[in-house]
Amino acid sequence: MEKETWIERRGDAELIEPIAVVGSPGLRSIGKLVMESLIAKTQATLIADLYSTHMPSIYQTKPSYAAHPMLPGTGGVIVESGKVDFPKVQFYACSTPSLIITKGYHANFEGQYEVAVKVLDFLAENHVKRIIVVAGYSSKDKKICGAATSKELVAEMKEKYGIDIGYTGPFMGFSGLVFGLSKRKGMEALCLFAGTELKEEDMEFPDKEASDRALDKLSKILGFH
Amino acid sequence: MNVEIKMLKEFTPSQLILVCGLPGTAYIGKLSVDYLTKELKAELVGEVYSKYFPPFAVIREDGLVELLRNELHQFKDESGRTIVFLTGNSQAYSPEGQYEIASAVLDWAITNGVQRVYSIAAYITERSFETPNVYCTTTTLALLEEAKAHGAQLLNNGIIGGENGVIMGLAKKKNVEGACLLAETRGYQTTTGEDVIDPRAAKAALKVLTSMLNLKVDMEPMEKQAVQMDEAIAKMVEIERRIREEITRSGKKPAYVT
Repeated sequence: MEKETWIERRGDAELIEPIAVVGSPGLRSIGKLVMESLIAKTQATLIADLYSTHMPSIYQTKPSYAAHPMLPGTGGVIVESGKVDFPKVQFYACSTPSLIITKGYHANFEGQYEVAVKVLDFLAENHVKRIIVVAGYSSKDKKICGAATSKELVAEMKEKYGIDIGYTGPFMGFSGLVFGLSKRKGMEALCLFAGTELKEEDMEFPDKEASDRALDKLSKILGFH
Repeated sequence: MNVEIKMLKEFTPSQLILVCGLPGTAYIGKLSVDYLTKELKAELVGEVYSKYFPPFAVIREDGLVELLRNELHQFKDESGRTIVFLTGNSQAYSPEGQYEIASAVLDWAITNGVQRVYSIAAYITERSFETPNVYCTTTTLALLEEAKAHGAQLLNNGIIGGENGVIMGLAKKKNVEGACLLAETRGYQTTTGEDVIDPRAAKAALKVLTSMLNLKVDMEPMEKQAVQMDEAIAKMVEIERRIREEITRSGKKPAYVT
């Protein structure tokens, strides 16, 4: 195989200055749940799949986003409704509001940079200038806090949407690296962190209530209900 | 691109010297270089990004997101000489990455006319000491004699783990004069396996380095930090001693002994 990470087009969308929304399986699956709800709510259509030889079908780390160089995961395929496919990142588009919804997947330790860079290149090619990442953070407060790529965006989050900064520390996995690399790729990005209680025995156990709160805040930012 | 050196402003060095202190055992290299950067008010001139840094971002207290990276800070002394300090919040996680990043930084330094490279690392010992020794390995015998005249001792045998060592090996390959200063440390770790910083060792390394570079730096703040850490480590050692005594007295054996 020549390419380690590649994108296959599934459809076209003519979008005007789209905003990219990014989420992935992570703490209490908040990012993943919000992306799935948003895709259903906006009836967004699939425009591309990103594949990579760095994506395991079975993770040897638990949770999946805590990649480790000694535990690269197991390659393989995923079977859904009798159909076989590789693990993938998916891009969905909708025109009102103009969005590219990015449903992430965690590559192994060595492949995370490559996948994140490819995702950002795809978003840039599709004229994205602003990215909104959605994720969870460990907190007993049922709050949404934020982070951003610039001081101006931190101020905008506070003034326009009432979102304070709050979480500090590492942001692991697909969404963390897409967020971290966005500025270097010429895009501005902000992240909504929804407070959720840790569930030590299953860190990715879905927290529907927290993801609904994040979706509500995201909908207000995007200007629709 | 595997490694990218991004210059933030115009860089016009003269008689360039590169000093590397990346995070490693007891954070001796990073502590030393961070200290010099702060005391000399060295200016951030460049950043090093790489896919070989651990793959995560960091959210800072001011709400901004940043990637793991290395930084280049420049200090111009009265004679017009440029010293660039290389440090950062991470080393590459793999040997391949450490070679690539060290090589890219060295090539950048060579392009800018580097005359000498220093790196600061740890020498782990079980010996009890009041003042840590500073050992040295160099790319030339003449530089070794110079380092010895400034208080370093010859490192006869050993391994210099990580990028602070790789950069010295590559300096020799690329015909750049270089010296690695290794400060003695007990290399304490916390119960969760994290390195405990050793400002006492960093101070010892800095004594040799600043003498070799003929730099005047106030060491008082570093001494204060060293005294605080001496006290914290003494407490840690005392607690360990008491636990051992308690186990011996009660005849208890650790749970894993069957």
